[in-house]
Amino acid sequence: MARGREWIGFAVFAVLLTAFPLVAPESIVDIGVYALIYGIAALGLSLLMGLAGQVNLGQAAFFAIGAYTQGMLVTRYGVALPVAAVAAVAFAMLAALLVGLPLLRLRGHYLALATLGLGIIVTVAATESDYLGATSGIYGIAKPEFGGRRYDSAAEFFWLLAPVMFLAVLFARNVVAGRIGRALGAINDSEVAAECLGADTFRLRLQVFVLSAGYGGLAGVAYVHWIGVVNPNAANFPLSVEFLLMAVLGGLGSVWGAVIGAVAVEFLDEGLRDVIPRLIPHASGEVQLIGFGVALTAVVLFVPGGLYDLWRRAVTRLRRRSATPAAPSGSTVDTTDETPVLSRPDRPAPGTTLLSVEGLVRHFGGVTALDGVSFDVRAGEIFGLIGPNGAGKTTCFNIVSGVLAPSGGSVRLRGTRIDGRKPHVSARARATRTFQNLQIFGSTTVRGNVAVGRHLRGRAGLLRAALVLPARAEERAIARSVDEILALVGIADAADRPAADLSFGRQRLVEIARALALEPDLLLLDEPMAGLSGGERADLARLLRRLRAGGMAIVLVEHDVEAVLALADRVAVLDDGVLIALGRPDEVRHDPAVVAAYLGLDEDDEVDETADDPVVRAAVRELDGG
Amino acid sequence: MTDLGQLLLAGLSVGGVYALVAMGFAAIYAVSGVLNLTQGEFAALAGLVAISASGNGFPLPLAALLGIVTVVVLALAIQRLIIAPVRRMTTLLSIILTLGVSTALKATMLLIWGPEGRGLDPLPGNDFTAAGVAVRSQYLWILGVSVVVAVAVSWFYERTLAGKALRACAEQPVAARLAGISVARASLVSFGIAGLLGGIAGVLASPVYFSAWDSGLALGLKGFVAATLGGLTSIRGAFMGGLVLGVVESLVAGYIDTGLRDAVAFVVLIVVLVARPDGVLRRQVAARV
Repeated sequence: MARGREWIGFAVFAVLLTAFPLVAPESIVDIGVYALIYGIAALGLSLLMGLAGQVNLGQAAFFAIGAYTQGMLVTRYGVALPVAAVAAVAFAMLAALLVGLPLLRLRGHYLALATLGLGIIVTVAATESDYLGATSGIYGIAKPEFGGRRYDSAAEFFWLLAPVMFLAVLFARNVVAGRIGRALGAINDSEVAAECLGADTFRLRLQVFVLSAGYGGLAGVAYVHWIGVVNPNAANFPLSVEFLLMAVLGGLGSVWGAVIGAVAVEFLDEGLRDVIPRLIPHASGEVQLIGFGVALTAVVLFVPGGLYDLWRRAVTRLRRRSATPAAPSGSTVDTTDETPVLSRPDRPAPGTTLLSVEGLVRHFGGVTALDGVSFDVRAGEIFGLIGPNGAGKTTCFNIVSGVLAPSGGSVRLRGTRIDGRKPHVSARARATRTFQNLQIFGSTTVRGNVAVGRHLRGRAGLLRAALVLPARAEERAIARSVDEILALVGIADAADRPAADLSFGRQRLVEIARALALEPDLLLLDEPMAGLSGGERADLARLLRRLRAGGMAIVLVEHDVEAVLALADRVAVLDDGVLIALGRPDEVRHDPAVVAAYLGLDEDDEVDETADDPVVRAAVRELDGG
Repeated sequence: MTDLGQLLLAGLSVGGVYALVAMGFAAIYAVSGVLNLTQGEFAALAGLVAISASGNGFPLPLAALLGIVTVVVLALAIQRLIIAPVRRMTTLLSIILTLGVSTALKATMLLIWGPEGRGLDPLPGNDFTAAGVAVRSQYLWILGVSVVVAVAVSWFYERTLAGKALRACAEQPVAARLAGISVARASLVSFGIAGLLGGIAGVLASPVYFSAWDSGLALGLKGFVAATLGGLTSIRGAFMGGLVLGVVESLVAGYIDTGLRDAVAFVVLIVVLVARPDGVLRRQVAARV
């Protein structure tokens, strides 16, 4: 349904692009050509800002790199236009790779300012270099000619550029709606959760940055063939601001937004150049910038979603009445206790060591949160991790899942060291987790949350997004497995609801479903029972047993000691960062050190002496599950 | 040797201007995490206003004061009208917002003063030659004033209760609020200080480096680079960063190629961000505090 509507959008866009030069007067078509050229660059910027949450204040630098490369190749070396264009775009992307490689590891605002600097560096380099024609730049670039037809009027050039723009928008749409867009959206909601599901933040952001620079370079290629000349002004700051305004005004991350923004800004530009000198006779130079500046500030302050967002909201408001709620699908939770689920043929045999933690130490400033903790977790077991508040359970969890680096010791997963690496490395090694403080991706539905968990099971990259069909086949496969997992966890009825609308308990289940979508061998659950109703707890316990039967290893951190002792095959007890007991639940239950830890006694106190104390008896009863 | 001395002096002088702008960045960023890209425009505007005032018969000190006051008022207005209304301000959002303001300011200055750059009359004093180095009195004014201002501002931020309260807002906004510090007021004060710093930079620099509608762009960026060298939150770091950047630029322009002057700052920025994202000068400063 939504997909159908989207294709209507593309059809309308194609018709508009075709018909525009026929119906519009020459001078307006001329503006339209600029809107297309600049719109391509703005589209790239919109992808970067909307998806990767990064700002490039020097998009004109990549625009200029594309334009200069194209101009050089065509005029000096006689390279054919399409070949030169590929090289020019590749060169702009290479420049972005070199800038992004070091800078995207840092927090957002450094990229913004470094790209602003890049614009100035490119301007200076072009001005200073005789090879690049110094201040006069490169000129004499011919209008394109294909099959004996010269595209030299505004209408002709518009028609030549229209398919390029159409494909650029289609490609951008595939990136936004596909695997990469989904992962980046998740990163914007919760970076740590997305990384624990295998999303490599740095790599994804770098990809989008390089892609957006490619759009900038492509716009530069179109520009240089239309104007016939490129000089250092192409890398100039006002142009970067213009691109930024187009992206922000239209609406970040929405492909149509950039198109709308480009058209709006081009007409604004034209109008201002016309109106300002009439109002103020002495005005000369780039006075239209005043409108750009005011518009940019006003949009961010008053319409942060941009024009496209305004329009979509109006449409949604009209549609809301007619929408029908999704039919709830019946609960499919199986009542048989131990049927294996989500088993995998190449999973390690039950009983072999999967996770091996050795001598783990972690300091926070002067505090030692973990002090020499060692344990193994075997495939096909449920391993409980308990201990009083502040014992170091969550720290231990964070280190195993790669969220924290240990101060000492090692974590091995199937023999490979993973400590101190990023969470996506653990995820790649098929270990993932849920969070005590929920890390739901609030901007998407339950289904969208779980689909992020399929990130590593898909392969569609930027290239495959370009080839629409294989990516769509993969999307269908993802949709199928997401439905299966939702049914398994028992939240299929909420599949299309915004995840943020669910109760805490059900959000916990969404996190578990999301983690299961990764098909992990090791599943780390941080307080999964908290906030669940009695029935939901029983269902979850049953699910965990079935997963165990399927060969998965599960580590449980729980405050509900009874639940852990009932469910786990082995239990480790942490107190004050030290492992004080490790064994079967019935062994741990009566371990004097454990009883003492839950009472806050020193270890050398004799528990027997205090056994008559009613408080101790109560504590022992709790551990006994009475 | 004379060459080197001349280049060092010129570098320190322009570095003093960068330092003032850089301290403006740090003054705001340390309080609210806002990166104010209008910092360079503050300097350009102060210079242009002072030039116009002086051209209309105002005595030089009064003209300079008028330029500075205009900018302080503008800075306060920007905080009230643009920054304060945004509920969930992020550094990135502040960059886009202030970029919009700075673009509008640039174009406004272009409309009022036209495209040509011009210079304010220099402050009184005689140029002289010492050890073969030609010393312009304005160089000494720039250096002297920027040192005095740097000492005053860093004393305010690091030693006075009001200054500590400002910095508390950045580190622990909630705790600061609980302690009775108004975060909104703190942000306003920091904008006022940044305006003052930018204004002083503008009137000091104008006689030597000229003021034009677009001179704030490069100046603001270089000020930002200098502030980044110092770790972005340290007033003293920003000051040192400004001087270092000015000297490096001057040496590159003198010994390699004048045209490369403007590129130096950004090469330095990228190198610093890659090698030491927390700032080159930060550790020294932290060790002293």
